[in-house]
Amino acid sequence: MHIPDGYLSLPTALTSMITTFTIISLAIHKVYRGKSLTHERISLLTALSAGIFVAQMIAWPIPGGTSLHLVGGALAGIVLGPWLGMISMALVLLVQCLLFHDGGITALGANILCMGITAVLSGYTAFKLLKPLVGEFIASVISGWLSITLAGMMCGVLLSISWGSPLPTYIMAMWHSVLGVLEGLITGSVITYLNVKAPHILGGLK
Amino acid sequence: MISKKVVILLSTLLAISPIFGIYLADLVGYHEPLDIVAEGLGLTEEEYTWTPLKDYTFPGLPNWLGYIVSGAVGVLVIIATGFIVKHFAVVRK
Repeated sequence: MHIPDGYLSLPTALTSMITTFTIISLAIHKVYRGKSLTHERISLLTALSAGIFVAQMIAWPIPGGTSLHLVGGALAGIVLGPWLGMISMALVLLVQCLLFHDGGITALGANILCMGITAVLSGYTAFKLLKPLVGEFIASVISGWLSITLAGMMCGVLLSISWGSPLPTYIMAMWHSVLGVLEGLITGSVITYLNVKAPHILGGLK
Repeated sequence: MISKKVVILLSTLLAISPIFGIYLADLVGYHEPLDIVAEGLGLTEEEYTWTPLKDYTFPGLPNWLGYIVSGAVGVLVIIATGFIVKHFAVVRK
């Protein structure tokens, strides 16, 4: 889902860059001003960011179809909360872009907007709303699925706006709603595992 | 800062990553939904680069090893960033 250079029109790239910069700045401000930034939280942020970075390198190719890998937005949002979750994903995407050319530098704002902001906020919100109704595992599976579907759709919308065609939105939303099932299952499994093995980490689940 | 368990998990994932990221990806042809969109709209990627580690390769190393080394470099940069933030940010202990 990492958009390379040359796929977005200049106004779309610029607008998403400004939007992303504003939201991530707000997230940093909120985290810094809030009362939750402890040494333990920074360690958790680092470990989870490193984990998501490596997990994204493990791509599952589907013969004759398409490929997928974990994005991790919902996971980051659920474990770290929305603000720190967005910062974690922004850090991963920044490293991928600057060091490995994974995603274009002109599309960095758009990529953070899709996978770092849309995925984290939708995953976190869905989890918060659904957890009391369906329990932790199902809530995190649906959150993971929704986060990828909406992140893919947002990516499609940016391409649609760039080229005046609805095609990218349809294709991206459709494919990611299918591929999102795996993201949901991985998110659900990791959350359940952490809750059993290290419940103190998921203090944010309260 | 990072527990032993996390280091073991990251190292294991890095060690197996080329199986998926290189071998299987080459075998079936890595193709994600964005590529389908690009084909549909006739979009082409701008081919300029700013990093020697482009696409998780490492100069002078075979692809599979470059993939692991690149991954390790990425992890170290993330951990270093966390370390710097931890050291300089005014946090509540």
